[in-house]
Amino acid sequence: MEELINKLKAEIIEVLNLEDISPGDIDAESPLFGEGGLGLDSIDALELIVLLEKNYEIKIENPQDGKTIFFSIKSMAEYITEHQAA
Amino acid sequence: MMDVYIKGLGNISPQNTADNSQFLDKIVEYDQNNLQVIHPVYKDHISPIKLRRMSRMIKMGIAASSICLDDAGITNPGAIITGTGFGCTGDTEKFLYAMVENDEQYLTPTAFMQSTHNTISGQIAIMLGCKSYNSTYVNRGSCFEAAFQDAMMLINEGEANDALIGGFDECTDKHYIITSRLGYWKDRDIKNTDLYTAGSSGSISGEGASFFAISKDGGSNSYAKIKAVNHFYKPDGFEEVERRIQSFLEANGHNPDSVDLVVNGLNGDEEGDLVYHHLMKGALKSSTHTCYKHLCGEYDVASAFGLWLACKILKTQTVPESVRVGNAPAGQINTVLVYNHFKSSYHGLFLLESC
Repeated sequence: MEELINKLKAEIIEVLNLEDISPGDIDAESPLFGEGGLGLDSIDALELIVLLEKNYEIKIENPQDGKTIFFSIKSMAEYITEHQAA
Repeated sequence: MMDVYIKGLGNISPQNTADNSQFLDKIVEYDQNNLQVIHPVYKDHISPIKLRRMSRMIKMGIAASSICLDDAGITNPGAIITGTGFGCTGDTEKFLYAMVENDEQYLTPTAFMQSTHNTISGQIAIMLGCKSYNSTYVNRGSCFEAAFQDAMMLINEGEANDALIGGFDECTDKHYIITSRLGYWKDRDIKNTDLYTAGSSGSISGEGASFFAISKDGGSNSYAKIKAVNHFYKPDGFEEVERRIQSFLEANGHNPDSVDLVVNGLNGDEEGDLVYHHLMKGALKSSTHTCYKHLCGEYDVASAFGLWLACKILKTQTVPESVRVGNAPAGQINTVLVYNHFKSSYHGLFLLESC
């Protein structure tokens, strides 16, 4: 899980062009959207959906699940692990 | 048409032009035919959160517009109008490559949004919260003139009191290779300062983002009064160019002898430059002549750099040695004509007066 979390951090930094942020600056349990975390927005959410599809072959069928899956890096990693095991 | 005044400038180019307090104090020299912009510190003009999603071209455009509006003291312009030959070329390439590489799957929204020609005028409007008229002209070598003309008509018709106008284009590596194959550029690398003496076909490639804030109200801080803008396509020889320039001047209360200074679009291409030499020896022989494409290179909206040069000359009453063709002007510079053509097809004219 730790390895996947670090990989996700690096991928998110690259895809979202977070120039001044390094993987060590991101708390895996902090919220990705809104105050108190990375402060991502709806366009970033679309980029993350594409990232899951392209890099992990996971398609989110129910848009309502997005809020839970993309809450934090850790929740994303858990979702990926769960789906890859299935 | 009523006079309008140029109140602010923002110019990001291959020279140090982003700082409005300077005026070509030291020329940047290049040893290759692909002149690229000198980037300002973007964080001084754009918030880091917005900056991270912006591509190179968008950063250039947004920063130039921000410098321009600050210079003019305008916070919410009555119109935002831009001109671009190719738009955000880098983003378009990125998006198209992603389509091919991923078999039209996994297309990301950012590259798509940023690959349209009107991305920059839209982004400026979003950043300013400006809901006024917003348009982008894409008619290649005269798109900047068309954008300027549109803004002047809006002000003339009372639709806006002021407007932000910009011309921008970028030259990516791929764009440079493609246009090289089309014979746009010189075969061998030259120094940009040798552009007019290299004596061969083709020019040197350039890029930039130049913005202008215009207003119906003058004032002591105005750069120039803009009398008129005109553009025409594929004239039938030098005589027609000369005739059109004379008509343009006469329609605006001038004649070739009353033009103190001409900003010429000479670009070092032997054939393309013939028309400028024809005018310099003919109808416009009594004016002081200047040129600028050794500073910014050739691109679809290079005339915007020429207009910037004209504004700075009128405001400072200084003609830097680096842009002179021949001698410095003898007296006061009151009237300036900017004449440019792109690939001998798109011809543009600006007529300016001092304030």
